Amino acid sequence: MANIDRRDFLKLIGAGGVGAGAGFLLADSIKHPVEHLIPYPVPPEEYSPGIVTWYNSVCGMCSAGCGISVRIREGRAKKIEGNPLHPVSQGALCALGQAGLQVLYNPDRITGPLQVSGERGAGTFAELTWDDALRSAAGRLAPLVESGRGDRVWMLSSGGGGHLGRLQREFMDALGSQNLVRYDFAHPQTLYAANRRFFGEDALPYYDLKNCDYLLSFGADYLGTWISPVLHSLGFGHSRQGTEGSRGRFVQIEPRLSLTGASADEWIPARPGTEGLLALGLAHQLVAGGAYEGPDADAWNATLASYGSARVAAETGVPEDTVKRLADAFAHHHSALAIGGGAAASHRNGVDTLVAVNALNYLAGNIGKPGGLVFNPAPAAGGSPGQEGYRGALALIEAAGRSEVEVLILSDANPLYSLPAAAGFEAALQQIPLVLSLSSFMDETTARADLILPSHTYLESWGDDFPEPGVGFPVGAVSQPVVAPLYNTRASGDTLLALAQQSGALLPWASMEERVKDGWRAIHARGSWEDEPELQDFDGFWTALLESGVWGETAHREHTGFSPAPEVIDGIGMPSAEFSGAAQSYPFVLHPYLSQTFNDGRGANLPWMQELADPMTAVVYGCWVEVNPKTAARLGLSEGDVVEVASPHGQIRAPVFVYPAIMPDVVAMPIGQGHTEYGRYAKGRGANPIQILTPEMEPESGALAWAGTRVQLTKTGERAKLVHTGGESRQLGRNIIQTEGAGDVTHAGGPAIPIKVVPS
Amino acid sequence: MSVSIVPTLRVLKPTFLIVGGGLAGLVLGYWVNVLFFPGLTPTQPIEFSHKIHAGDNEIPCQYCHIYARRSTSAGVPSVAKCVGCHENVAADKPQIRLVMNYWNNQEPIPWVKVHDLPDFVHFPHKRHVAAEIECQTCHGPVETMEVVTRIAPLQMGWCLECHRAENVVHGTDCWTCHK
Amino acid sequence: MNFLDRFRDGWRTYRKPGYYDGYDYHWAMTIDLDRCTGCEACVTACQAENNLPIVGERELARGREIRWIRIERYWEGEYPNVKLGFIPLLCQHCDQAPCETVCPVAATYHNPDGLNAQVYNRCIGTRSCAVYCPYEVRYFNYYDHRWDPPLEQQLNPDVSVRGKGVMEKCTFCIQRIRQAKDTAKDEGERRVRDGEVQPACVQTCPTRALTFGDSNDPDSAVSRKMADPRGYKVLEELNAHPSVVYLKKVKAGDAG
Repeated sequence: MANIDRRDFLKLIGAGGVGAGAGFLLADSIKHPVEHLIPYPVPPEEYSPGIVTWYNSVCGMCSAGCGISVRIREGRAKKIEGNPLHPVSQGALCALGQAGLQVLYNPDRITGPLQVSGERGAGTFAELTWDDALRSAAGRLAPLVESGRGDRVWMLSSGGGGHLGRLQREFMDALGSQNLVRYDFAHPQTLYAANRRFFGEDALPYYDLKNCDYLLSFGADYLGTWISPVLHSLGFGHSRQGTEGSRGRFVQIEPRLSLTGASADEWIPARPGTEGLLALGLAHQLVAGGAYEGPDADAWNATLASYGSARVAAETGVPEDTVKRLADAFAHHHSALAIGGGAAASHRNGVDTLVAVNALNYLAGNIGKPGGLVFNPAPAAGGSPGQEGYRGALALIEAAGRSEVEVLILSDANPLYSLPAAAGFEAALQQIPLVLSLSSFMDETTARADLILPSHTYLESWGDDFPEPGVGFPVGAVSQPVVAPLYNTRASGDTLLALAQQSGALLPWASMEERVKDGWRAIHARGSWEDEPELQDFDGFWTALLESGVWGETAHREHTGFSPAPEVIDGIGMPSAEFSGAAQSYPFVLHPYLSQTFNDGRGANLPWMQELADPMTAVVYGCWVEVNPKTAARLGLSEGDVVEVASPHGQIRAPVFVYPAIMPDVVAMPIGQGHTEYGRYAKGRGANPIQILTPEMEPESGALAWAGTRVQLTKTGERAKLVHTGGESRQLGRNIIQTEGAGDVTHAGGPAIPIKVVPS
Repeated sequence: MSVSIVPTLRVLKPTFLIVGGGLAGLVLGYWVNVLFFPGLTPTQPIEFSHKIHAGDNEIPCQYCHIYARRSTSAGVPSVAKCVGCHENVAADKPQIRLVMNYWNNQEPIPWVKVHDLPDFVHFPHKRHVAAEIECQTCHGPVETMEVVTRIAPLQMGWCLECHRAENVVHGTDCWTCHK
Repeated sequence: MNFLDRFRDGWRTYRKPGYYDGYDYHWAMTIDLDRCTGCEACVTACQAENNLPIVGERELARGREIRWIRIERYWEGEYPNVKLGFIPLLCQHCDQAPCETVCPVAATYHNPDGLNAQVYNRCIGTRSCAVYCPYEVRYFNYYDHRWDPPLEQQLNPDVSVRGKGVMEKCTFCIQRIRQAKDTAKDEGERRVRDGEVQPACVQTCPTRALTFGDSNDPDSAVSRKMADPRGYKVLEELNAHPSVVYLKKVKAGDAG
């Protein structure tokens, strides 16, 4: 290396320079990135970085109305827990309630008002300001109000509880319209009707699961999706193991084993639509066997005479000795309770079924008793909000067909998804000149709207709820905004008030907050506050209410000797359930059920819910048709075979899941998937069984008879992979779940894994 | 027979020079950066002097860093807090005018973090304040600094030295600090 | 004593059941299978509390789920005499945990509260612990997971977001335990009271099937439940000494 010439020297220097630069940059690039400390210009009240604040509110994920506490840090909602003070949730919460955070922070929320651009339904929207949006909507409403044709405005709502529901009514009244339709697929409308007929009460009773020691459930998935699952679960847990020396026994009667059925001590499959017949069969045994000794025993004997166990056994498919055994157990347990709901209550004889269940409770003498069913004093904010239900939705469809609907306002309702296609809503929508949606999400119906006035999520808005059935005394809870609104949205109550004001239909409140407060002033005035001077003043009461999140009156209602009128007893009977589709060509009864994860489909846009394994099948992100193993073998179907499920009203496709606990002539499908809109997590996934349901209704209540459809299955030859989580579906002798008790473990799991001894 | 490698080397010499020079430069550049530009003293959007505030005027640390006593983070004062004093005090100084600009626009001041811990570390200021550890133990003599500079390495070994020396209960358990 | 002897000696003491009894706390859980309905509220609560990623359908199909607590379901019998049993499975925080002995970098270890701890930034992702775990409750991050904005705003700042190549598992909500201890310390160096700290799953459970607490405290709710004659440990024969005690499901007789 003696002689480096000038050329080489320059090369060396050049390379060294480039290298040094690269080295410098390299060192820089692996340094800790610059982080900033961003202070607030003015810190909000109660704000401390790193310190948690809790706000109490009301869960908006279903109509149960559980109280929640939301954990807030740095202005963001981090976690939802049950409000321990709230007597419905008592600090607990279900999976869907936990996932409420993903409603708030959902990436597919509508971020501001939208107006359709181009053809309606094409899915193209243009943003506009709230002023323009409200002016545009009010411009259509005002002429109708002025000319006294306000009844050409219709509103379809899922039936918000509390003062939002009242405000909807007040808004429509101010417009001069009676056409508020509340339709919620999961609403127990037939139960209201049955209670009206049997008890003369337009309300749901509180079912005291906590203190009951024998529960017969006719189709009600009370631990999963029925009315108030968290409250029922708390009661179930307590009845099971909450008191020393006693353990409640739970019996579930349904054609397909549900989550509740799996937790029950006994599952009894009965033919779909015959649950009420079974209830009357049990009632017959009770009365005929002399277990019932009331003064009206003769009337009962007469009306139940034709429901002998032989007939009941033959028609329901439940063995005769089981019928007798159930009746015996029901009569001899201290606090026996019967409940009915779900598919059993959604046949065309749904109300009769539930009246039969009510009769069973009456005959067991548990009305108003601990461990029985208890009617509450009237809720503080008036009676039950009620539902026009499916009958109301049909009225809307008819009116639209007659071109009598000028404006349709959708509030938290998605009828294109939750009404059977055969009901004809899609065609009716074409006839409506202006469709306004107040939805937070681009669901199927909102995508067909002309104008979208997006609402806050429940975690951003004021509201309240008076949970029905409550817990034996009136309960109310206030829902307050726990975080600042994320987007340019407005609470639907505020939107309605603004619309009313601009349309010349005056309402006395400036905001939803005022409306809620106004309602609570009346409730405050009901109470006497002598012992609590700090609550005497409304402001003090309001502050205390927001802190605790819940209010309750310690008023119980005395149940004194209820007995049904003779004509009610006389009128008890059981018409057989009718099905749409002939048994020859449609051999299976379709059993749609509310999904544990998606409820009626509203949870499908939440990634946590999509990833949550279905409790029974462990399937994630999926949709399937449940078929009995024997039936599957007969049809040559195995898991993953895509079948066409056809009813007289349409067909859908889904892969088969061979389900060990379903009657051979029933197929079941979860409701919840099959969205054609509704955001990236829901769209284009699976099928929606509601689409192919019969558009018939239960005549007495006007509810959709969603369990009354027959279907046929056709193998398409295609295959689809159902994604499961978890492991082996049988214990294989590992004894992971251990049992003990009266009926000793005879077959815990299958045979042990044989260990092969290899001869040396 | 023997073959001399000298001719080959001669041909490869320029390549050696470039690669060798480049590598040497890389090491040098890296070393210079790490040693002379450690980023311990970042430039702040406003030339805030801890010396004037904490030193000359003897304002206690927690007068501005109000959360240190009760939270994991000590917090930086809100713009409102700065303005609270400086509406009257030294309001004509150019740096204070900058603060007023932020205030008038209701914008936060984007301070640059001097002491930053990785996200997997749980460090509660609260516990250390409660244990009566002087702020200066970790942050250095801030009251003498015109511009704040980091004096502590903020590495795990450095944390543990103190935890061991002070016999902190479970002070060397991973889950005391790792989250 | 040479190094090897010392090592073996320490190892034996440390592996002795009851070693942690002398410490302040020994966190433990009971799960009453007679109450559990398999509703999976615990699963979602855990996902929300502990920043569990949204894995996606494709990855789930390859068995790459991440779920610190999950429900296993076992069918029994054939139609119509068919039963389905649920059992929530989470890290059992074994006192003689097989996963701890195998980690080459000591990223998983037993902490003085009897918790089986995982230190994410120390983990190098050999996945040996997952192989050794008989309960299959350790989960591996095959990818850096992402949250579609603004979902990330929900992330819990008290829990690390784990990156690619890191093993993770249930911590008994260590951030909540830490918080409770912090509060207890503030209030005059007292002990954490029974019921003061609950992991997310326990807090949300609608049937109150889950109980959590300090098993070193004989009066705690969890100690009382652990003494229930129905108590058993899953795969007890493996001698891992889990801190999670299950209470047997009661099988009602046919009568009644």
